[in-house]
Amino acid sequence: MLNSKFGILTVSIALLLTIFILSLVACILTHTSPHILLTSIASQEIGFAIKLSLLTSAISTLMCIAVSIPASYALARYNFFGKTLLSTILDLPLALPPLVAGVGLLLLFGTTSFGAWLSDFGLKFVFTPLGIIIAQFAVNISFMLRIMRSTFEGISPRYENVAQTLGCTPMQAFLQTTLPMSKNGLMAGGIITWSKGIGEFGAALMVAGATRMKTETLPISLYLNMSCGDLDLAMAAAVILIIISFVSLYIFERRGGVTRLY
Amino acid sequence: MIRIEHVSKDLGEFKLDDATLHIDEGEYFIILGPTGAGKTILIETIAGIYRPDSGEVFLNGADVTNILPKDRQISMVYQDYMLFPHLTVAGNIGFGLRQKKVGRSETRAKVDEIADLLGVSHLLLRYPGTLSGGEKQRIAIARAVVTEPAVLLLDEPLSALDSRTTERLRAELARIHKLTGTTTIHVTHSFEEAFALGDRIAVMCGGRIIQVGTPDEVFRRPNSKFIADFVGVENLFRGRSVVHDDISEVRVDGILVVSSTVASGDVSVSIRPEDILISKREIETSARNSFSGEITEVKDMGGIIRVVVDVGVPFVVALTKRSYEDMELAPGTRVCIVFKASATHLF
Repeated sequence: MLNSKFGILTVSIALLLTIFILSLVACILTHTSPHILLTSIASQEIGFAIKLSLLTSAISTLMCIAVSIPASYALARYNFFGKTLLSTILDLPLALPPLVAGVGLLLLFGTTSFGAWLSDFGLKFVFTPLGIIIAQFAVNISFMLRIMRSTFEGISPRYENVAQTLGCTPMQAFLQTTLPMSKNGLMAGGIITWSKGIGEFGAALMVAGATRMKTETLPISLYLNMSCGDLDLAMAAAVILIIISFVSLYIFERRGGVTRLY
Repeated sequence: MIRIEHVSKDLGEFKLDDATLHIDEGEYFIILGPTGAGKTILIETIAGIYRPDSGEVFLNGADVTNILPKDRQISMVYQDYMLFPHLTVAGNIGFGLRQKKVGRSETRAKVDEIADLLGVSHLLLRYPGTLSGGEKQRIAIARAVVTEPAVLLLDEPLSALDSRTTERLRAELARIHKLTGTTTIHVTHSFEEAFALGDRIAVMCGGRIIQVGTPDEVFRRPNSKFIADFVGVENLFRGRSVVHDDISEVRVDGILVVSSTVASGDVSVSIRPEDILISKREIETSARNSFSGEITEVKDMGGIIRVVVDVGVPFVVALTKRSYEDMELAPGTRVCIVFKASATHLF
């Protein structure tokens, strides 16, 4: 296999790239010691950041799942006027810099009467943890939509047809056939969305700001502590983020990377 | 029983164009046509998966055009089985009963009974993923008939299977139909299936129904060149076969045809026109089938002449123009036809 110069060249490049990525991780891990790391993680601030990150990302992931299931089903199964345009717009957050999405969210919730109306109901997004959730949702929903759409497209609508003739309403047919058959896609999409949510920085920074012990998620904590030179806390946040990335990547790969299609 | 009146449906890729069809209670009805003829849309429209763009569907006299599939009492079996991979075989077969809120013990009893009927009892606890095509299709059929539907729709149920399994399942379908008497609509592109199973046949092409009739009518008297070409088989008969010493004797109307295919009971017989010898005198031959009759029709197909000889049943014989002229054949000529037992195909 590896008998040509070309072969050796390509493998060398792949190896160099691996070394590059490993060295990034290694630098962070060696910039701290187990003792310092443990005390930092035990600190009130990092504890708060971990809790806030886990909570906001869990909620935004659930929101992404709840919205993407019906929306991606519509895109996968039905043809309607303007579908191509709609689907392009729904893909937009994939290409949009999160900072820009964040500015949009800030303006929507901070300056419009819609935002004021929501805030009358107690739904205040600007400079609050709620803002973090909506920022994660806005940035990640397109990923979830894409994964669920391709999952649904990979499942023949005939399963639902058969279920309908056997006594299901269209919704029951979906809930009893296509949805359980999408389990792997849902898991993979959920894990990726959750891990992206935990790492979300730009959009959350714009909407929710970076207030210590209030809107301080792990990435915000990393940013704040780097800015004021508290490297121990910054490294602790970074190490936790690395662990989360590894775990989610592992689960994602275990789930078949992409969805297993029937 | 089922009436489809002027139904049209355009799905872009496939379409149904002004289809009208009446199917009687208890009938085994075949929809025959090439791929892309609109056969599947037609039965999916009967099932209620699609709402027609225009036209109406009646079931037992009631207009069901706008009624959901679940309220139509119609079951469906697809070519690719569509067994739910996340449910066991028992879970698949019992699916319809669970939707209809049938009790647990009754569901189990019915599932056992139907699994027994289709010979899949030993698979009930398995998941569909590991089963063979024939097993999957038996389970799909069991799942469809266990709910005792008014109409059973079969979309190319035998097309994905190997020929041995196809033959066995074809017999099974006939048996189930006889046993339950369920009105059945069976979509296929195989004329053998159509001829062997159908009480009546509708031939479809390009979204239209172009001929409806008994298998004899459709195969003997195709009403268009398309059907003649598509069906493409002459000398197709039905009869009753008795086996003696590895030889089948099939009584077809008045005559007795001998075949080296071993099959007993109700069978279909086909003999290719080019496998039949024709002569004006009795032929001394080892061939087991020899009949005499009169030429009723002569068709010039270019280089080949097709001669219809009535020996009690009409046989089509193909011969070259040259030998046709040498023998001085013409309508009304008395001739003898001969073919081998091995050229007689039973199915």
